[in-house]
Amino acid sequence: MAGVTLRGVRKSFGRIEVIHGVDLEVADGEFVAFVGPSGCGKSTLLRLIAGLEEPSGGDLSIGGQRVNDRPPAARGIAMVFQSYALYPHMTAYDNMAFGLTLSRTDKGTIAERVRAAARLLQIEDLLDRKPRDLSGGQRQRVAIGRAIVREPQVFLFDEPLSNLDAGLRVQMRLEIAKLKADLRATMIYVTHDQVEAMTLADRIVVLNAGRVEQVGTPLELYHRPRNRFVAGFIGSPAMNFLDVVSEGRADGSVRVWLPGGVPLDIAVDGAAPRAGTPLTLGVRPEHVGLADGGAGLVATILAVERLGGETHCHAALEDGQRLLVRLDGDRPVSAGERLRLNLRGETAHLFGPDGQRL
Amino acid sequence: MSGLPHSSLERQRRRAAWLFLLPMLIVLAGVAGWPLFRTVFFSFTDATLATLDGFQGVGLDNYLWLMRDPVWWRAVWNTLVFTVVSVGIETALGLGIALILNAHLPGRGLLRAAVLIPWAIPTVVSAQMWGWMFHDLYGVVNAILMGLGLIAEPRAWTADPDLALPVVIAVDVWKSTPFMALLILAALQMLPRDLYEAARVDGVHPVKVFFRITLPLIRPALMVAVLFRTLDALRVFDLMYVLTGNSRSTMSMSVYARQYLIDFQDVGYGSAAATLLVLVLAVATVLAVTLGRVRVDAGR
Repeated sequence: MAGVTLRGVRKSFGRIEVIHGVDLEVADGEFVAFVGPSGCGKSTLLRLIAGLEEPSGGDLSIGGQRVNDRPPAARGIAMVFQSYALYPHMTAYDNMAFGLTLSRTDKGTIAERVRAAARLLQIEDLLDRKPRDLSGGQRQRVAIGRAIVREPQVFLFDEPLSNLDAGLRVQMRLEIAKLKADLRATMIYVTHDQVEAMTLADRIVVLNAGRVEQVGTPLELYHRPRNRFVAGFIGSPAMNFLDVVSEGRADGSVRVWLPGGVPLDIAVDGAAPRAGTPLTLGVRPEHVGLADGGAGLVATILAVERLGGETHCHAALEDGQRLLVRLDGDRPVSAGERLRLNLRGETAHLFGPDGQRL
Repeated sequence: MSGLPHSSLERQRRRAAWLFLLPMLIVLAGVAGWPLFRTVFFSFTDATLATLDGFQGVGLDNYLWLMRDPVWWRAVWNTLVFTVVSVGIETALGLGIALILNAHLPGRGLLRAAVLIPWAIPTVVSAQMWGWMFHDLYGVVNAILMGLGLIAEPRAWTADPDLALPVVIAVDVWKSTPFMALLILAALQMLPRDLYEAARVDGVHPVKVFFRITLPLIRPALMVAVLFRTLDALRVFDLMYVLTGNSRSTMSMSVYARQYLIDFQDVGYGSAAATLLVLVLAVATVLAVTLGRVRVDAGR
């Protein structure tokens, strides 16, 4: 097993640079997810690690060995493709065994490895079938099996679940989690689905426009997003952002005024912004509470979405700013009603004019 | 069929379908069915071009004569050699050209258009053009080969019995390779890119990738292309006729049939040859389709 290290890795297609110098350390046996909106470069970064693209700059090492000049097959990696990329004219068994057959691995060993992988993935009965006779989930298992039999140091997954329907995706997510525990290999997993990233990964790398925005454990990203982008990307439904004005600093916290003249004190690490600086207040829908009465933020409900277990209220503050509030499933609220809201400093985030966390 | 009575809507649909098909069926019967029937019919008679109205049935006589004519068998042999060799070379060359065109080369669009030109020229025109180029006295082929010192004296390319068939095959390869290349290119462009990436991750050697992945996947399209070209080549006429006339060294089955039908005005005998040619085509098609399918299945 081996870790993966990226040092100043860049990639340009023609004149356009899509990866702007990425530094990253993936520890041996770690499960790291790359997330970001489409076009952020997460798949390109994975393909650079796989060797399917050549970096325009920087160093890439796997297991302490520089692999920039090595072809994909010599990097000790295996890759699972979004479209599965199974050879349509071969049976599931042959798909899994193909790479090994050509590397002159002894037949008994191949059969043993394929059977072991098939057992792990519960596809032993499907080995004689062609891909066209398999369902989406079964194809995905064969594709993962093909990766397993290579016994790689690093597994690379490129959006492996995005072609599956919602129910199957949840099931396969659990299976991948189990695989991670069974194989104890280093895994790098690209997804645009932050729920997959949050549930599977030891650490998440959030990418945006070819840059790493933040690297951290799922809960670090949730509780302490480093900037507005990460704050908005991680968490579902997405975080609310309100325009507020800094009042100045007092006792390691910054006081801001909410619409309607409600003060809120928020603890910050960095230097205090001058009074009058426009700031962005971030608060997650699940952290907006209802005030028992008295003073509070007043909001008018614009629309109510009932999901059964929870209720989403789209509301407007007095100055017109929008806010999503997440309430209990059975809370009797309706559009047009006025709510008195309660925000707490501990669960609120403050971002400066440059979008960075204060 | 189920025993249930068809609903009136179903009957109406069937009637409409036949109504739409009718004009096509009439045209087909007129331009294909009737001539074919007449040819088969005449092949059992002693009709000539002059006596198309007065003829007598002769049973299988025409066929028996045909079986005993060494010139016919020479024509069959020529046609088979021409078909196997030219289609073989065209397939190999077409595959090579298609693989090159499929690579991301600069100016690929222009190249693709240029490759198609030989296919776009009518065969009679290109055959005549090659006829002049292969001319024994004024031909550019002789001039070039002598200039390079490869031959000492001019060759009679289209008259020499040993050279005529190879020349005809060469011209057919020049003309028909683009057709092969284009059909194969279309198949190649359907192949998903990530299969090749998976093969790279698996560390499969490019030559193995070609034989184990590319070739099996384009085989259905390749089989169709080969079948088309084979049927085309089995009834070849224009190339031989323009380049070498009725010369026995290159005569194909079609040229033989035409010679008896028109030059010798023996409609009965010529029709028998033409009917046999159709039979050979039919057998070749059935063989190609069945064998092709068997091979595809065995490969899977």
